[in-house]
Amino acid sequence: MQKTIINIEDLSFVFDDGYTGLDHVSLSIDKGEFIILAGKNGSGKTTFLKHLNGLLIPTSGMIRVNGKQVSKHLIETRKTVGMVFQDPDTQMVGDTVFDEVAFGPENLKLHRALINETVTRILKTLNLFHLRDRNPSTLSGGEKRKVAIAGILAMDPEVIVFDEPFSNLDYPGILQVLSTIMDLHRSGQTVIIATHDIEPVIFEATRMIIMKKGSIMEDGNPMALVGRLEPCGVREPCFSKFNMKPESWQK
Amino acid sequence: MAEITPFAYRPGDSVLHFLDTRLKFFITCLLCLSLLPAGFISCWLYCLILIFFFKKSKLPLFSMLGQIKSFLILLFFVFLSRALTTKGDLIFSAYGLEATEQGLTEGALVALKFFLVMLTGLIFSSTTRPSSVKTAVQWFLKPVPFVPENRVAVMISLALCFIPVILRQAKEVSDAQKARCANLRKNPVRKTMGLVLPLLKKTFLSADHLILAMESRCYSNDRTDSEFKPSGKEKFFLLGSIMVSLCFFIFS
Repeated sequence: MQKTIINIEDLSFVFDDGYTGLDHVSLSIDKGEFIILAGKNGSGKTTFLKHLNGLLIPTSGMIRVNGKQVSKHLIETRKTVGMVFQDPDTQMVGDTVFDEVAFGPENLKLHRALINETVTRILKTLNLFHLRDRNPSTLSGGEKRKVAIAGILAMDPEVIVFDEPFSNLDYPGILQVLSTIMDLHRSGQTVIIATHDIEPVIFEATRMIIMKKGSIMEDGNPMALVGRLEPCGVREPCFSKFNMKPESWQK
Repeated sequence: MAEITPFAYRPGDSVLHFLDTRLKFFITCLLCLSLLPAGFISCWLYCLILIFFFKKSKLPLFSMLGQIKSFLILLFFVFLSRALTTKGDLIFSAYGLEATEQGLTEGALVALKFFLVMLTGLIFSSTTRPSSVKTAVQWFLKPVPFVPENRVAVMISLALCFIPVILRQAKEVSDAQKARCANLRKNPVRKTMGLVLPLLKKTFLSADHLILAMESRCYSNDRTDSEFKPSGKEKFFLLGSIMVSLCFFIFS
C-alpha cells in the first residue's frame, strides 16, 4: 500500500496585488511518485511548489506533509521537502562546493563530524567529489544544478521538488541532471518537477498534473495526457506529434 | 561559467591556506596598521615578502592585478594629488601646477603603502574561506558587550558571498548597455543611471531569490560554525609578523 506524504485540501493563494496564484487546488502525493507539474509561464507552478516547502503560506486551504500542517511545522516541512530553484546562481551561498552542500546540515545544527561525513558521501554519490574545493560560480550549468541537488540531498529529504531543472541547460547538461533525478527516484525519493518542457521527463514520470491559471486542469497518467497539453500552453512532445514510439532520454 | 573575482577564495594547500583564520585576521590587521609609519626600504622589503607568499600560495599575482586595474588607476591619482599639493623643492611647474621633490616622494610612498595594504588583503581573502572569516569575526566579537556577534558575522558572510554576484550582474548590465551603444552617450549622469538602475533592480531580485533559497534550507543565526584547525605553524607566523611590524617602526 502506498503512503500519502503530501495532502493538499482546497488550497488557494492570492498575492498582495490581488492576483490569484492558486485557485482551490486539492490533491495528494504518495511516497515514491515521480510527478511532472506542467503548465505555461504564470500558470502557478512555482507558487504551488513554494507552498510545499513552506515558503508561501496559503490564503485559504490546508497542506499537510507527513500528516503535519506546513504552516505550523516549517522546519520539519523544509527537512522533508527539499526545493531546487530555477536559477542555481542565486541560491549558492557557499564559497566552495563542499561548503555549499554543507550549508543545509549546518543550519540544522548537526555535529561537524556528521556534516563532513554526509557531504563527502553525497558528493561521491553524485560524482562531484573532485570539484569539492571549486567555487560554485565557476562550474558549468549542469554541474551547478547537481551541486544545488547535492545541497538539498544533504538535508536528507523525502521529497525533492525541482523548479524548471532543465532551463538554460545545453543537451549534455540536461542529460546530466536527468540522470541524477532518475537515480534519486530509483533510490525511493518522491520527485516533483515543474516544467513547461516535458519532453526529457515524460517517459520516466508516473503522473502528470497540468496547471492553468492557478487551477489543476488535468491529473493522471503522463502518456494519456499528452494530447491535452497544448490547450494549456505546453508544447506537445515530438513523439506524440509525429506518432512515434516514446523513448527515454537516458542513455 | 563565471569569472572568479580577485578577492574570491582560491582553494590550495599552502601554509597560508591552513593557518588559523583568527591569527591570519590578526596578522593582516597588525601588518596593515604598522605600515603607517613605514619608510621606503621597509615597504620594498615587505613587498618582496608578499610576493614570496603569493608564489608560495600559488596565487596568480599578475592576473589578479589585471583584475583590479581600476584600483591601480586610483592609486595613480592618489600619487598625483600628493605630488602636486605637497610644498617643497620645486622640480617643475606647468599650467599652474607645481610638482615638488617632497611631493613626489610622499606621493610614491603613500601609493605604495595603499598598494601593499591591498596585496595583504588579497592574500588574506584568497587563502581564507568566507565561512572561516565569519566564524573568526564571531570569535573576536564575542567578548564585546552589546554587539550581537552572530548577526554581525552573518551579515559579513552574506556580504562576502553576495559581492561576486553583484559584480557579475554589473558586468552583464554593462555589456547589455554597450550592445545597444550606450557608451556613445555623452551625458555621464544618464550613462550612470542607465547602469545603476537596472543593476539595483537585479541585485534586489537576486537578494530576494537568495533569501528564499536560504529559508528553504532552514537558515538561522544559530547554526554549526566552521571549526578552527590550527596548523601548528601559528607561533612562527605570529613572531615573524611582529618582527616585520617592528622593522616598519625602526626603518620609518
